[in-house]
Amino acid sequence: MAQILDRPEFQSAVIPFIVAMLVYVGLKKFTAGAWIWALFAAFLISSSLINGATLSPLTGTRKIILLVLGSLILAGLVPYLIRQLKLQRAVAPGLTILALLWVFGTVVARMDLIGIALFLAGGVGLVLWLAWTFDRIANDDSRLHGAGFTLMLGTGLSATAAASALLGQLALSLAAASGGMLLAWVLQGKAVGSGRVSGSISTLPYVLSAALIGLAAIIFARLPWYALIPLAAIPLATSLVPVKPDARFLSALVNSLPGLIIALAVSYWVWQAGSSNSSGY
Amino acid sequence: MKKVLLMASLAILPVNSLLAANYTIDPGHTYASFAINHLGFSTMRGKFNKQSGSLSYDPAGKKASVTIEIDAASIDTGHEKRDQHLSSPDFLNAVEHPTITFKSTKVGWSGDKLSTVTGNLTILGVSKAVTLTVSSINCGEHPFNKKQVCGFDASGSIKRSDFGVNYGLPAIGEVLDLQIELEAVKD
Repeated sequence: MAQILDRPEFQSAVIPFIVAMLVYVGLKKFTAGAWIWALFAAFLISSSLINGATLSPLTGTRKIILLVLGSLILAGLVPYLIRQLKLQRAVAPGLTILALLWVFGTVVARMDLIGIALFLAGGVGLVLWLAWTFDRIANDDSRLHGAGFTLMLGTGLSATAAASALLGQLALSLAAASGGMLLAWVLQGKAVGSGRVSGSISTLPYVLSAALIGLAAIIFARLPWYALIPLAAIPLATSLVPVKPDARFLSALVNSLPGLIIALAVSYWVWQAGSSNSSGY
Repeated sequence: MKKVLLMASLAILPVNSLLAANYTIDPGHTYASFAINHLGFSTMRGKFNKQSGSLSYDPAGKKASVTIEIDAASIDTGHEKRDQHLSSPDFLNAVEHPTITFKSTKVGWSGDKLSTVTGNLTILGVSKAVTLTVSSINCGEHPFNKKQVCGFDASGSIKRSDFGVNYGLPAIGEVLDLQIELEAVKD
């Protein structure tokens, strides 16, 4: 059993997929935020297996783990604490920008002025873009999780190809959890449009995870910065899907397809670029 | 009598002080290397290409100290992609923690030769006490440039999880064997 838990494919794919699915099915009847707690449980277990149940030393990667878990708790609680949608809408980008400063502050402080300006412009721009594009699909479960699943998949595969399996596995565990939860949602088979409003705060975990892990893969590892441009386009591409099928299976499929194509294309390109002088090790 | 002893002590002190010397590490003749088990198959070896530091050595006074700073990003296992991976957050996290340091706190002697160096090794910002066994140490005049040089070979081992380097455990070895071959030139 211990040997299975040490295997990356179980840590960041099989386990989060199953955990998210089970938690979502178990909590769906009791709370509209079941998906948030499904992602929380899956990521808590996966990150503990991937990183070990330790936060010492508190590296940037471990800060990201803490922040992703914190963002999921906030996403579950804020709709009850803050009723105004305008204020909720500001929470995702605001908190993510603060998170950027906490995770990357020490490294950015060692950069020259041009480096600091590029980080601030690129980092804040990425966060605002992701917050805005995710906000467009916040009230559509199929689009929100289709975009979240494929964005985390692309970020995870790209980060892995860019020489940080740790960051890659963290993103892939979120992708697997979203995928498991999306599958559970599909298997319920009911029509879309139950009238439930997720609220834009629900986008916080996806905005924060994608921005932090993507930027960490650039700054701490070797992901080319321009790889984030097509990845960041995934929520917008998902929002532009022209059809709204009634059946959940079709809805999940068509809303995941654009992101899936982008994610796989970017990952393949990053892998090809990085492996040109490698024979594997 | 006390005055005689005091005068004698004062007379000896400068001689010992002359024997003590400070040296600056010669990066061209200093090698910090390591060996670690690779997936249970074999031993993988690597080294760091950039290091600096200083040595203070006083065999007569049985005093010595050494400080070594290693550029974490200069890791070299003879495979570029693997070196990039070892520099990444999975292992040394070289962007966030660019320097690995060793600062001695205690030394042991075997006769008039340095035999052990205990100090704080800092990796990923975590400091742990590590004892290196000195297998040889020699000081003297360099035959070509005529400068005073000291050199030593030392080795020890650490558990990487003690420093929070947990990725890939237990498949990739937990125990890291360290080897330091160092030459330093008198200031």
